Amino acid sequence: MTVQSPVHTAPAAAGGGSRPKKSKSWLATVPLLAFVVLVFGVPLVIILGGTFTREGTLSAANVTDSLQGAYLTALLGSVKLSALVAVVGALLGTFLAQAVVTSRFRLLREAVLTASGVLSNFGGIPLAFAWIATLGNSGVVTSALGLDSAGWSLYNFWGLTLVYLYFSIPLMVVVVVPALDGLRPQWREAAQNNGANTWQYWRHVGIPVLTPTLLGGVVLLFGGAFAAYATAAAMVGGTVPLVTLQIANALSGNVLIGHENVALALSLDMIVVAGLVMAVYLPLQRRSARWLR
Amino acid sequence: MNGAKVELRGLRRNFSGTTALDGLDLTIEPGELIALLGPSGCGKTTALRCVAGFEQPDEGAVLIDGADITRVPANRRDAGMVFQSYSLFPNLSIRDNVAFGLRVRKVAAAKRHARAQELLELIGLPQIGERYPHQLSGGQQQRVALARALALEPRVLLLDEPLSALDAKVRVTLREEIRRLQLSLGITTIFVTHDQEEALSMADRVAVLRAGRLEQVADPATLYDRPATAFVAEFVGTMNRIPGKLSGRTVTVLGQDLPVEGDVPATSDVEVLVRPETVIVTPDPSSEAMILVSSFRGSTSRLRVQLGDLEMLADVPGHDTVRLAPGTRVRVELVERPVLVSASSDVAAAVPVSEHDVV
Amino acid sequence: MAALTPAGPMAPVTPPAIAAGPGGRAGRPRRIRVWRGVVLLVAAVYFLVPLIASFTFTVKDASKGFTLDAYGQILSAEGFGKSLLLSLGLGVATIVVVLLLTLPAMLAVRLSVPKLKPVLEILCTLPLVVPPITFVAGITTILQWGPDHLADTPFFQTIIAAQNPDFPVVLVLAYVILALPFVYRALDAGLGALDARTLVEAARNLGASWPHLLFRVIVPNLRSALASASFLTLALVLGEFTIASLLHYQTFPVWIYTISGSQAQVSVAVSVFSLLITWLLLLVLSSAGARQRSGS
Repeated sequence: MTVQSPVHTAPAAAGGGSRPKKSKSWLATVPLLAFVVLVFGVPLVIILGGTFTREGTLSAANVTDSLQGAYLTALLGSVKLSALVAVVGALLGTFLAQAVVTSRFRLLREAVLTASGVLSNFGGIPLAFAWIATLGNSGVVTSALGLDSAGWSLYNFWGLTLVYLYFSIPLMVVVVVPALDGLRPQWREAAQNNGANTWQYWRHVGIPVLTPTLLGGVVLLFGGAFAAYATAAAMVGGTVPLVTLQIANALSGNVLIGHENVALALSLDMIVVAGLVMAVYLPLQRRSARWLR
Repeated sequence: MNGAKVELRGLRRNFSGTTALDGLDLTIEPGELIALLGPSGCGKTTALRCVAGFEQPDEGAVLIDGADITRVPANRRDAGMVFQSYSLFPNLSIRDNVAFGLRVRKVAAAKRHARAQELLELIGLPQIGERYPHQLSGGQQQRVALARALALEPRVLLLDEPLSALDAKVRVTLREEIRRLQLSLGITTIFVTHDQEEALSMADRVAVLRAGRLEQVADPATLYDRPATAFVAEFVGTMNRIPGKLSGRTVTVLGQDLPVEGDVPATSDVEVLVRPETVIVTPDPSSEAMILVSSFRGSTSRLRVQLGDLEMLADVPGHDTVRLAPGTRVRVELVERPVLVSASSDVAAAVPVSEHDVV
Repeated sequence: MAALTPAGPMAPVTPPAIAAGPGGRAGRPRRIRVWRGVVLLVAAVYFLVPLIASFTFTVKDASKGFTLDAYGQILSAEGFGKSLLLSLGLGVATIVVVLLLTLPAMLAVRLSVPKLKPVLEILCTLPLVVPPITFVAGITTILQWGPDHLADTPFFQTIIAAQNPDFPVVLVLAYVILALPFVYRALDAGLGALDARTLVEAARNLGASWPHLLFRVIVPNLRSALASASFLTLALVLGEFTIASLLHYQTFPVWIYTISGSQAQVSVAVSVFSLLITWLLLLVLSSAGARQRSGS
């Protein structure tokens, strides 16, 4: 039996075939890496550089200005709004997710999950217009229920919260449902077997296991609301102090002479906040993935 | 810990059309380890869950030491359960997992930690108290689950296929450990499995279930040697079905006259049920029978022998494999002992059913 | 043996949200069922009313009552066709560029340089950290400085060309960055489900050449992931407002906003339309994905 020859030639072929490929294939990643570094990196560098430049000289004045006066109000306003939307959205989203996950109707679950996936992408202008058409000054519901005479206005902090929840709650549902699914029935049964009632199960096992996901969701919602621009621009223009609106304002030239780079400083502030958000979110997500596999 | 007597009386349970339990009656003596054995869907897990309280039977009762606990909620029952897998709480350390039941009962921290440590030593893993479930292997996790089930000193221990998800080697070791532990604690144990080897090697008695009913309950040897029904005969171990002629209490098969054991069917055309190890095979060039296949298994070899239309399985010692190779003509005889007979069935009469132990 | 007493201690007091458990027993689920119904009802109202109201808004007319005029006016509205085509074109261009960049890179990483995976993952998830508005702040600054500092270099022409209002390449570049996290995630999931390595080894074992492998084995199997990535990108581009408006380009979403001042009904009508289209895209996507999952 000629077992010898194939054994000898095979490694040569494999070596000849695979070795050169191995050393060159990383080139395939170069276009992507180069693109990101250029198109993404350069603006970031500009932001960094511009922030610390005031009238041609290195200065931290932009940063300090960005944290005072109207700008500070805007920053705090954004934080307040995002925090409120995040917490309320997380709570309501979790309730909705739980109601859907425990239902017997598969169709309901599928429908809500699909709708959530779609609605979490629903933002920007269409969202604003939909709500203006509903509860705006001449909106359908406003007229139908005579709300305008009762002093109702959509174009304020609370109206914005109401609208932001429209894409935040579905996002929370999308985040929480897999976690709720990951709660194994054996845990519940094992807890019962050890004498625990419903409340004790949730307190010692259920909620702790869900907590990383819930916190991750809150953080994600915060990030999303914080970065939102289009909806706010279409709805409130300048009446609600938000940092995204301030930046847009500054970019349109609506700013004191010499303070042009404050927009960049504000941008840097936003990036720092967003970075913090991610830094908290990622480890939480990893922890919950580990438990709820 | 002392074992309790568990009784299942007339349990019936229906799941949207499928009958899981169809009038199950079973009494489990204090301190015994009984295995519930059967194919999937036979109701063994449902019966176990009725004892645990996770299932409510539609009819019937579950009694522990004479007290009817059928309607007692699961978290108030005195039965520790080990699940097939994934039952340890991922957010708690091993020590907190084991001490969980004690914590629920508001036992002081020091006391429950001490008890948890005691149990960890009992299962042979005293060092892992501070670790977390995801850091343990499957076998270790199941041992911890066992420790947790024993923490509250239950009178009944319930095991739901605890070894199915583990590697073969781990399974065997753990099997022996569970048995040893159970014997030393004297706790009544109900062990659900679909693996007959597990059931036969561990249990004091084995209850074979089928379609929600009890087929037979007996100690392993009796179950193996004297299966009460054809189903049990074929489910536990492998069975040959060889045609024979019955007259009185003697059956003529393969040219031999053998006494009949157990029930005698009405007809004279019967099938004789014999285990492969009771079929004697000797090389004989003048005979009609021939070996078709030989599967070497180490200590024995399983031969498939053809005689006319008939195919039989025979187990021979491993060292005889060479002279009993495929193609050899052999003489087939049965060991001289009473045999079981059943009326001839239409279904492929003489071909042994699929071997459960050859996957 | 009739009615079961609901397990006493299992009173769903606090987090009523999460009190619902495996509904195996008769007594408990009833309270939960009512509660669940309420939650779903409130959610349905909250999410459906704005949509219904939008539609009503577009068909209501003071004098004529119910009318579909607004929808008819969409097509004839000034700038509709132009902006829609622009957005679609940008979308297609973005999809092509982003897939051409990511697919080879991800394949290479998965098959031969797994060490680069964390690098790739971080780079592709980074755009999520930077809000679009800050991104556009950086871009605007570059575009303002560019002409001044690069006037005598070949880059000058490039920068001017990229800002051509008829087809602003600068937007494509920006959108590729925005789409990266979604495309990466979709392709990663697809490649993972595919077990690319085994497939490649099996194909190589049978003698396939690399190009053949790529186009005849890998890409067809990635169809759903590629479709998913494309749809997500398209939905993103069709909805992107921030960057386009601050760079002063009339893409579709920007047009919707611009026209809202003069023709409110048309504007809302178009919003409803674009919404429906995006939803349809994503619905087709998820049902195709579900079908493939259950089919295979």
